[in-house]
Amino acid sequence: MVNEMNGAMSQPRALENIRVVDFSWVRAGPWATRWLGAFGAEIIKIEWPENERGRLPSSTTPQNLEVNLNTSGNFADTNVNKKSLSLNVRSAKGLEIVKRLIAVSDIVIENFSSRVLRNWGLGYDELCKIKPDIVYVSMSGYGHTGRNHHYTTFGPVAQAVSGLTHLSGLPDEPPAGWGWSYMDDTGGMYGAMCALTGLYHRNMTGQGQHIDQAQMISSVPLNGPSLLDFTVNGRGSRRPGFPPGNRAHWPGTPLVSNYRGPTVAPHNAYRTHPGGYNDWCVIVCHADEEWQQLVKVMGAPMWASSEKFATVAGRLQHQQELDEHIEAWSMTLGKYELTERCQAAGVRALPVQSAEDRVEHDPQLRHRNMYRPIQHPALGTHKVQNAPFNLSRTPASNHLPSPLIGQHTREIVEGLLGYSHEELRAGFDDGTFWPTKRARFSYMQEMLQ
Amino acid sequence: MTRSQGPLAGLRVLELADEKGQFCGKLLGDLGADVVKIEPPGGMSNRHVGPFLDDIPHTERSLSFWYYNTSKRAITLNLETADGRTLFRRLTVAADVILETFRPGLLASLGLEYGLLQEQNPGLILCALTPFGQTGPWRDYRSADLLHMAAGGQMASCGYDEADVPNAPPIAPGGGNAWHMGCHYAYMAIMAALVYRTVSGQGQYIDVSIHEACALTTEAAIANYVYRGEVLRRQTGRHHAAGVTPRTQFRAKDGTYVTALISGGLNPRNVRNLADLMGSFGLAGDLNDPKYQDPAVIAANASHIIDDLLAGFIASLPAEEVYHAAQERGFTWGAVRAPEALLDDPHLLDRGFWKQVEHDELGRSFIYPGEAAIYNGSPWRISRRAPLIGEHNREIFCDELGLSPGELAVLGENRVV
Repeated sequence: MVNEMNGAMSQPRALENIRVVDFSWVRAGPWATRWLGAFGAEIIKIEWPENERGRLPSSTTPQNLEVNLNTSGNFADTNVNKKSLSLNVRSAKGLEIVKRLIAVSDIVIENFSSRVLRNWGLGYDELCKIKPDIVYVSMSGYGHTGRNHHYTTFGPVAQAVSGLTHLSGLPDEPPAGWGWSYMDDTGGMYGAMCALTGLYHRNMTGQGQHIDQAQMISSVPLNGPSLLDFTVNGRGSRRPGFPPGNRAHWPGTPLVSNYRGPTVAPHNAYRTHPGGYNDWCVIVCHADEEWQQLVKVMGAPMWASSEKFATVAGRLQHQQELDEHIEAWSMTLGKYELTERCQAAGVRALPVQSAEDRVEHDPQLRHRNMYRPIQHPALGTHKVQNAPFNLSRTPASNHLPSPLIGQHTREIVEGLLGYSHEELRAGFDDGTFWPTKRARFSYMQEMLQ
Repeated sequence: MTRSQGPLAGLRVLELADEKGQFCGKLLGDLGADVVKIEPPGGMSNRHVGPFLDDIPHTERSLSFWYYNTSKRAITLNLETADGRTLFRRLTVAADVILETFRPGLLASLGLEYGLLQEQNPGLILCALTPFGQTGPWRDYRSADLLHMAAGGQMASCGYDEADVPNAPPIAPGGGNAWHMGCHYAYMAIMAALVYRTVSGQGQYIDVSIHEACALTTEAAIANYVYRGEVLRRQTGRHHAAGVTPRTQFRAKDGTYVTALISGGLNPRNVRNLADLMGSFGLAGDLNDPKYQDPAVIAANASHIIDDLLAGFIASLPAEEVYHAAQERGFTWGAVRAPEALLDDPHLLDRGFWKQVEHDELGRSFIYPGEAAIYNGSPWRISRRAPLIGEHNREIFCDELGLSPGELAVLGENRVV
């Protein structure tokens, strides 16, 4: 939940006066710095259009707009609260400028593969010479140490190799996996968590450090109970009935924990009226009392009074039949109506929600202002995702739209670093701030006036 | 503070958290905070969640509880008694952070609302992590991991191609990840508040919603809808999409799977690299035919390249062999492993990832997963196994708050501790 933009501006920010040099691209790194920005840090994205990954290619550009570096909808949502400096860091002059920037910054964050920054002459030792207490967060695929450090990841690969993909699906079918880069979102979380933790430690001790975060590595601790079931009990998860779909336990297989809380039934997804692609709800009963409440909500049908459903052991044993009965009932109701009826009786039920459902139909997210419009210079006004937390004294906020590429080059080079306007123009002419052979956006021409 | 301590050394956290928030407490504790878990007499309900050591259910044998409660101490305290509340208030005076997952309004109904606690301790940070937050029409709804994965949007994105599993339901990935999502955001908010406190000296109240945390964790699904009006379809083992995309998950010779994405799609360069990789096993098929250097020919034969040649190549080899051979040649591919396969991963061994944790009460030690990230200047570590019920009552109540052993015994008799 995010406070009104105007209100937020007058309140203090948690990361006031913190500056972040952000080399990150694609998704995980930018998702990390998005949150540092929401807390009020100044995020300076270092970008270069010739090797851009994140702004292009875009499958989220509105149908009525040209696909270019400034029209990706997903980039716009991922990069709110940031500024953009277009800079060729691979040139001597560009490197010199970025070093001057690092010297007045608190955090350096990047999500390249493991040796890139060092090869640019910006390894941690070098960063320390420029800014002794720098907090450097690297967000690689496999980390900066270990024999496979040079391997690369996308979210789905980190999920596969770490065991997360294996947790998702129906038994005896291929893994369903995660239908998006969960580890881009979550890798981004860990990047932000590392940066904040390193910053806290610096403020307490005066010491910076290099924090080696990695997408594949950060996935592994998310499998804790299944790993302990193996290291302690010797039970692996390649076994009949695993993964158990949406159930806590798959009927007809040995009764064991499948690492999603108590082993109970009902615990499943059920179709709802009118039977469309996302017309489903989920229902879970953790105790006999909850089951008895569900029976009442269903109108106390004859089948539900059968002795075999009276206990959790019976419901697990006859789960298939139980689920068929419940679904015959759930098909008669819309998913929101079913949710309200169940929850009013203390029964755990919620609808399966698509993105459209969340943005348009979810009364809770609407109440909490989860999606609030922001005006973007190239995309127009669109809803942007807000923060899931409200800090009473230093609210997080989306205070800047996603930057156009190089939009803040003049502000940073002249205003922050003290170069002259002539030096800015010279840098555009010699390819430091924009490739000489590439057409300039109109706002670049304007900043050179 | 020395360099051998975690970055949060010196922080005192009071944790009043069940399955919703215990992972956040672990994240804080493993990074050096002194996390004191406050349980009702008899222990938290999540001590009853399996799997259990040797499959014997017991409050001290829950492996789920073990995992999520490392590096914490534990006391028992009945907050429904006046004595319990008095002791809790005394603990909050010296605390930096309170993490609680009670239903909205519960702490206030006990006279323990943040405003009152903060009067005695202006730097106190209280993070309330709840299913839906402190306000709104769903505020008092009941939840479960599966419920959050439904309403948060995870299920709408996960499942199967109709051709693979007809009439499949949307699928919620397992492992308790709704709780992880909430805990990651809660940790982040707590750390931001702590950083602010280093500058201002002031604490604050934080309201975190697990539902919102989940709703934020579907990558581009919201952007696809907001910017293009698209609702995405579920696909087997790969990204949701507005239209059908080429499959990326292939069955290997050993019956497990390989995730094999062609970054940038099929183009002459990628086809050439693919031919080299597959050719090194003598399995390039006709992919070295010069005709495949024409993008139009590639496009016309995409199904042959993916579904015949690539699928056939992977079907001829064990998944791990494909994974490493492909990565060594620059392909971002991975084997779909069961978690237990990670125990033998040489890369993780190189990084010292696995930790031995002593369970002195059993006279045994067990291997636990290690750190999500290496803090080179202030190491992460599991400082102790999950606490037994009330294990640190004496340390906290007697050594720290100054109660006599007799007073502690009386509190025990009266079900306060």
